[in-house]
Amino acid sequence: MSEFISNFPILAIMSLFLGAFITSLLGRKNAVVRNVIVFISMALALIMMLALIKPVFIEGKVIGYWLGNWAPVADWAIGIGLEVDALSLFFGLIITVAVFVSGTYSFTYMSHDDSLVNYYTLFLMLSGSVLGLVLSGDLFNMFVMIEIMTFTAVALTAFRNTYEGALEGALKYLVVGALGSSSVLIGTALIYSQLHTLNLAQITALLTNDQNIVTGIAFAFLFIGFGTKAFLFPFHPLAADAHAVAPASISLMISGVLTKCGVYGIIRLVYCLYQNIDRPFVQYLVTAFGAVSMFICVTMAFNQHNFKRLLAFHSISQVGYVITAVGLGTSLGLASGLYHAMNHTIFKGLLFLTAGAVQHMTGSLDLDELGGLSKKMPRTCILFLIGAASISGLPPFNGFGSKWMIYQAAFEKSSQTGNVFFLVVCVTALITSVLTLASFVKVAQSVFFGQLNPKFENTKEVPLAMRIPMWILAILCIVTGIFPGSVANKLLMPAVNAATNTRAYVSAMMGEAYAAAHQVVHAGAADVQLIGVYSPMSWMLLLLSITSAVCLVAVLGSPEKKKLEPVVGANVPNGPMTPGSIPVTSQSREADERELITDDLDPKYESFFSGEHAEYSQVGGSDLFWGFKKNWRHYFSFMHEWHSGILNDYALYGACSLALTLLLCVLFL
Amino acid sequence: MIIMNYIASFILVGLGIFCIATKRNLLKICIGSGLIDYGCNLLIVSVGFHDGGTAPIFAIRELTRASFFVDPVPQALTLTSIVIGACSTAMTLSLIIMIKKQYGTLKADKIRRLKG
Repeated sequence: MSEFISNFPILAIMSLFLGAFITSLLGRKNAVVRNVIVFISMALALIMMLALIKPVFIEGKVIGYWLGNWAPVADWAIGIGLEVDALSLFFGLIITVAVFVSGTYSFTYMSHDDSLVNYYTLFLMLSGSVLGLVLSGDLFNMFVMIEIMTFTAVALTAFRNTYEGALEGALKYLVVGALGSSSVLIGTALIYSQLHTLNLAQITALLTNDQNIVTGIAFAFLFIGFGTKAFLFPFHPLAADAHAVAPASISLMISGVLTKCGVYGIIRLVYCLYQNIDRPFVQYLVTAFGAVSMFICVTMAFNQHNFKRLLAFHSISQVGYVITAVGLGTSLGLASGLYHAMNHTIFKGLLFLTAGAVQHMTGSLDLDELGGLSKKMPRTCILFLIGAASISGLPPFNGFGSKWMIYQAAFEKSSQTGNVFFLVVCVTALITSVLTLASFVKVAQSVFFGQLNPKFENTKEVPLAMRIPMWILAILCIVTGIFPGSVANKLLMPAVNAATNTRAYVSAMMGEAYAAAHQVVHAGAADVQLIGVYSPMSWMLLLLSITSAVCLVAVLGSPEKKKLEPVVGANVPNGPMTPGSIPVTSQSREADERELITDDLDPKYESFFSGEHAEYSQVGGSDLFWGFKKNWRHYFSFMHEWHSGILNDYALYGACSLALTLLLCVLFL
Repeated sequence: MIIMNYIASFILVGLGIFCIATKRNLLKICIGSGLIDYGCNLLIVSVGFHDGGTAPIFAIRELTRASFFVDPVPQALTLTSIVIGACSTAMTLSLIIMIKKQYGTLKADKIRRLKG
């Protein structure tokens, strides 16, 4: 049995790729046959990944598999290998669960579209390539999987090609994404030129003692390449464009699965291949990229009018958290990064699926147009609130647990090293979390509360077949949030130990003697201590008591407050919106507002942050965070212009970040 | 001699990136991403070159310690990479055809419905 189980990684990848092949052969005539084939191949992959939990997580084995039985000859790896340690399996589990949820959601969600056999073929190919990437033990094989992943993701982004901007988003993703793929390829070629091998285990062993300037340049290329796949800072507009136009099930895949590949690549690169996370330069580099993406993307989310585009910016912001935590270089940092990576897939997937549900039932994603759907879709509303509470880090949902660990990790790092940089990172993470909450208050108000647009009077609740996948994710949100201790012990610690224990990784593929000959370090088991006050339930009680106190004060109120209320009320639209009132062009609306406001000639009159009364928006200027947002309006205005939507600009930003990273790596690595 | 290949490959990649970042025409952008691919291919195949080596084609008993040949692995990698590059170009071109139909233009600075 233990022999047979080592075939499971390749069988899991094959079941997805074969499923894609059989779908396109047999699924053209009959929708039921097609759905059964897709379901079986997804379920098989999931079951095989679950079966690997026992040997890998509990017994701590590393499963190696040589394709075609091309075992190493004279200590040189000549075949392509698959290697599954706890880190790979952790990401493999995230991926297969997300694929399963996304696939079952698609059965109903995509039922309005045609040529669905192409959709499912591409979908299964995307899933197979992503799984192949994280289980692969070969650098070039990783590149091939990245390319398959990019092509299928681009094709699926443009799947609804009549949708406004779908082709545009796909083209930007393809061209700028190809820049990242080429970076990975150049990095691979440079590594091969120095070490004459492509096997990850052998590269790890050889790089332990032999790092020169060429491998440093290769590091920069690989880092930017994987960073592109995780949509880190200068590449984040691609994700926003792709998410806004892709079907919701594909948005789940892009945010929950594709970005995880980039995160996996970066973790594998800095902890395992180069083992250089102990060096301050690498910590600064990785953490800075993460912190910048975390902050810029959350501020960009403020002035979005498209539901899914807003979620896309939040998605990259949360990936920024993961990369920040990974870059701290401590066991707690890596553990919190992995925890947040898992949670990000769960709650972001849930939010994208609720956005998809809203789009499926109303046909709109425009935040200015939607509103008051909590009366029509109460169950979707509850699911959305669970997701929003998780991403904002409210106890007892899972976002609280992982964000808490990230704050603690960043703070400990700064107190250990006495470095102000990590303190700034810690504060940035806190502010970002607050801004995330602010942004989700806006979304909840715009979509589910506020006034119902008469256009959506006949909206119905989504079918049960779409709610079941959402409930799976919602329950995972709650379960992983309430029991963070057992998640840490059962899932995170094996993965952290696997990432730092390169000795086991090398000896599983190349033999113990090979690892010993190259003096690969054997790291001891990591020790992660959470500080004592960490307990989601007691924090929830505290939160509830503070909230009820605030509500009590607000209800009792002062006479002054009662007098103010009509003024506040005047800021929201007068009476229900009628479709007839919409044709007023935005230019004339801006011109009207310019006339109204004479003492402030600021160019921005955006309803979400200028504080102007918002005639066509559910959120008035008077929301909780208005003062903050008003003071930042010049920054928002600048960022709005910076995201110009022109393909050349995005490529230029990417090339600049590549050049900068190359320069820094040549100078300091 | 081989150093010329390395320089040429990085010049090709640089020109490709320059082309993508500055040219407004979508077809030129497609050509730019093609140039990056060619630069990568040249780099990989140069990595496996040994001066004076023969082609790596041997029957199993002809192969001795003394045989001197160029590294066959990068050639296999280059083949794969050429195929992927061709797919990439084909996909970009097909998207460009669709965009031309929908937007009626090939100018990258006119195709910006998704922004901000």
